[in-house]
Amino acid sequence: MAKNYAMTIDLQSCIGCAACSVACKNENNTDTGMNWSHHIHTTTGTFPNVKYEYIPTLCNHCDNAPCVKACPVKAMYKDDENGLTLHNADKCIGCKACMASCPYGVISYNKKDPHQYWNDQESWYDDVSATPAEIKEKIGTEVPYYNPERAFNYEAIRYRGIVEKCQMCDHRLDRGEQPYCVSRCPAEARYVGDLNDPNDKIHELLTHDHKTLREDLGTKPKVFYLRSF
Amino acid sequence: MKVNRRNFLKISAASGLFVAGATQTKPALNAFTKSTEASSKNEPQGEWKASVCQGCTAWCAVQVYIINGRATKVRGNPHAKANHGHSCVRSHIALQQVYDPDRVKQPMKRTNPKKGRDEDPGFIPISWEEAMDTIADKIMELRDNNETHKFSVWRGRYTALNGILYGNMPKIIGSPNNVSHSSICAETEKHGRYYTEAYWGYADYDHENAFYEILWGADPIASNRQVPHTASIFGKLKDQAKIAVVDPRLSTTAAKADEWLPVIPGEDGALAIAIAHVLLTEELWYKPFVGDFKDGKNKFVEGRTVSEDDFEEIQTYGLVKWWNIALKDATPEWAAERSGIPAEQIYRVARDFGRAAPKAISFMSPGSNMVVRGGYTAQAMAALNGLVGSADTLVICGGESAPVNSWPSIDAYVDEIAEKGNNMPRADFGGRKLEMPAMNSGRPGGIKPTNTTADSILNDDPYGLKVVMSYWTNFNYSNQGSDRWDEALAKLPFMVHMTLHPAEQTHFADIILPVPHAMFERLSPVRGSNGNLYRHVHMQTGVIESPFDVKIDETEVPWMLGEALERKGFSNLIDYLRNEFRDPETGKHPENGLEFNEIATKMYTQPLWDPSIEKKGDVINGWDEFLRIGTWNSIPYRFRQKWNGNWGTETGDFEFYSETLKKALTTHAENHNTNVDKVMEATNYTARGELAFVPHYEPAYRVGDESEYPFIFSDHRSKLNREARSANCSWYQEFKDADPGDEAWDDVAKINPIDAKRLGINNGDMIKITSPTGTITVKAKLWEGTRPGVVTKCYGQGHWAYGHIASLDRKKQIARGGNNNTILAPVHEALSGSGARHGGQTRIKIEKV
Ligand code: SF4
Ligand code: SF4
Ligand code: SF4
Repeated sequence: MAKNYAMTIDLQSCIGCAACSVACKNENNTDTGMNWSHHIHTTTGTFPNVKYEYIPTLCNHCDNAPCVKACPVKAMYKDDENGLTLHNADKCIGCKACMASCPYGVISYNKKDPHQYWNDQESWYDDVSATPAEIKEKIGTEVPYYNPERAFNYEAIRYRGIVEKCQMCDHRLDRGEQPYCVSRCPAEARYVGDLNDPNDKIHELLTHDHKTLREDLGTKPKVFYLRSF
Repeated sequence: MKVNRRNFLKISAASGLFVAGATQTKPALNAFTKSTEASSKNEPQGEWKASVCQGCTAWCAVQVYIINGRATKVRGNPHAKANHGHSCVRSHIALQQVYDPDRVKQPMKRTNPKKGRDEDPGFIPISWEEAMDTIADKIMELRDNNETHKFSVWRGRYTALNGILYGNMPKIIGSPNNVSHSSICAETEKHGRYYTEAYWGYADYDHENAFYEILWGADPIASNRQVPHTASIFGKLKDQAKIAVVDPRLSTTAAKADEWLPVIPGEDGALAIAIAHVLLTEELWYKPFVGDFKDGKNKFVEGRTVSEDDFEEIQTYGLVKWWNIALKDATPEWAAERSGIPAEQIYRVARDFGRAAPKAISFMSPGSNMVVRGGYTAQAMAALNGLVGSADTLVICGGESAPVNSWPSIDAYVDEIAEKGNNMPRADFGGRKLEMPAMNSGRPGGIKPTNTTADSILNDDPYGLKVVMSYWTNFNYSNQGSDRWDEALAKLPFMVHMTLHPAEQTHFADIILPVPHAMFERLSPVRGSNGNLYRHVHMQTGVIESPFDVKIDETEVPWMLGEALERKGFSNLIDYLRNEFRDPETGKHPENGLEFNEIATKMYTQPLWDPSIEKKGDVINGWDEFLRIGTWNSIPYRFRQKWNGNWGTETGDFEFYSETLKKALTTHAENHNTNVDKVMEATNYTARGELAFVPHYEPAYRVGDESEYPFIFSDHRSKLNREARSANCSWYQEFKDADPGDEAWDDVAKINPIDAKRLGINNGDMIKITSPTGTITVKAKLWEGTRPGVVTKCYGQGHWAYGHIASLDRKKQIARGGNNNTILAPVHEALSGSGARHGGQTRIKIEKV
């Protein structure tokens, strides 16, 4: 049977550390400013009755995804096999219609080719330090800590003129592993499970109080936030 | 692999058919790496190899994912029971440190003999050999002039191999001056534990069994201690326990806690003392641990003295004395006036804490006691664990043993010149000044107060240091009163900086030596303290080849220096290393620095990997298996081993009235031919008489006059700081706003909106913050998470020389943000010799610029 993946983030466990966001950059080779995983934080109230909340964000892989509807060339699509909202870099024409339609702001556009820093021929401190290009040459990859495993089913590093976003680490799910942000969350706050599998742990997790972002919009998000921060 | 544009590009480019400009794509992006590493199969392409993260002093065992010799990912080592597969956000940021092009890439020497902030050092590349020869010449000069004591080694972040470069090398050369950074880290909390239960070290906690925790300045889901373990259980802990956080700023832990007590900085002691008062007056102390009144009637009544004869103690000593001397009048109402926390909240926390006894934990962190008068505050926080009976029941001050070997004796290699030098007084003030007892485990002078080294240099007190070898330090950044350090470093005739990044201290160096990032580029054992009830030793296994020309500071450098000294007629150092070190398996002696590093590591750790050596913990079958597993775990802590007279104090009991401290203070006083009252006076404490021997309240000490400097400045830590070394990483900057109140790519001063309005300051305005010690200019952030009258700011940025992200302009020395240590006063908690950077130690004024 086809799968229908969804994520739970237990806000009671979440410590607002951004390890998920750093891990996502690490897994998906995203450049500075391109963050598939990010956060919303709020400080409300007045001293000393102050409340701080941190909500990790990412693509919601909406069942009713506005980005998919907006994309004129079907580069943004729902994958029937796994229920994810995926981006096909090859089809993408960079028109940004998806970005405009996504109410969550989780799609990024490559204004320029990523990781150009590593081509820089100038060192920061004369002969004391190295040039980025020197390190790149020695290490042999576009970014020294480049993750080639991402290349299995998506552009491992995207390029100028297209958008990019969280693919729910579909390459990892495909080989039976949790997404990287889930694996590296030190608080064990995140989980991805198959809503179509009645034995999946996700159903038990969803017995906690939970909510999704902007349910009112009818997007049917599949990132469920359990309990509160 | 399905054919798509990506593959097409790869294929066409690889066969030279690619036509530039044919598409808008970046042609070489994925395709032409050394090995393309593109995957047609969906399989892991790398291997996880063991190492240790030293991003903070949790020192977590990690694994690094190696693909074709590259470090690509980091995770917790699942074999390590203290962090069981978890690592915190900082561990990943290390990837950007190790591959940072801004690192020092080769040995360099200074060509401009003049030193100063404004001088261009004129660094030019040299060989390792020339560097070693130059250093050896400087050392020989000292030896020829019988002034080897003017040699000094400064230690910053280190591994268990530090005993060679930092421990033994100075003694063989002939100097007592090995100065560690430890005193600017966390020594005062150790003071608190030592004078209650004779433990000089970090505590561990059995969170899983706690029902109530008071966290004093502690933010353990964000920064030290034991972050990954605490993070992993925090969600469950919230289900089972109540958590109260005492912290002037709304930390993440405070935000998630049941109670936030935003104490006026430096006044935590009032709260701790008042909580003790309530526990006694309301009969909430844990009787099976502390004991009871002989007639069973509670005589702890506010304001009334109790007779010592009426009470019978079990595990503890001096409860009634403590009550009479320091607690009887310390009501929550009294504490409310001092701490800014409402009396009702103090009552509530005290009662809930007491009712949870003995499943109640008082957990202190440096923020609450690395404070000018914080020694007694730390003692009060430690004493609470005695009152509720969680000491050695839930709170571990000790731990099981992790057996390692000590280094071979140097006795035969210390000649007459060295002996004379070793017997000279030390440069730092620890113990030798009345105002600086700096007691480690009750021994005056057992701590070397790092920050007094600057005073020693500036005033030639007792003599001027001449030759310094300094590794993984950045003392003119990390010590309070950093401008003062600039002057001291400029005065220092010869300094070698062994460092990862060119840093502020490097600017004053005569020689720069690039050293490995320990997590990735060297083999070394790391002996951490306990976590999750386990003691351990973890292994850094040198998982990549460095792209830089590095040599290992703690072993290769002394080896090469030993060879250089031998060439100049002094062979004791290299003889020691050659003769005394031998591979425990083959018996082979080292022939070069790298071999020496490996042999030293094997010798040190042999008890852990040699299955024939008995120990309580993991059994590992040999060296190779040890490297593969990367950690050794003890058995879990056996609680109550200190009970019934084994507390290790002077009385053998858990001391509320500290005979142990009395003895230590008396020793220091006698060393200076004076009495304890005079010690109290010299060390800035207000206590006189018996008060000096019990945990008690001391009013906060602040530098600066309130009329001129109306605000209190409060310094705090970041969840992203790798000990102030991560500001040059983009991942750090992008998510800097994960620290509550902070901003990405910035370093803001957080001001309560009420104060900001009064000063006409808007969010984002640049402001000049001036203290009696210095000035920084940073962006203002209006934030409700700080108390009116208190400006809070995170430590870790404000680097004027640390790389292209951390520093905005290298030549003009413009930092991103401002360094808190520029405005913090160089003051100490003198009993433990600690740099007192917290507790609102300085007042400031704010001006809009
Ligand atoms: S890594 Fe986990 S704990 Fe940290 S912010 Fe993300 S979800 Fe929260
Ligand atoms: S699922 Fe993967 S791609 Fe999506 S946010 Fe997590 S790490 Fe990033
Ligand atoms: S930074 Fe500290 S807590 Fe985090 S993984 Fe490293 S050693 Fe552990």
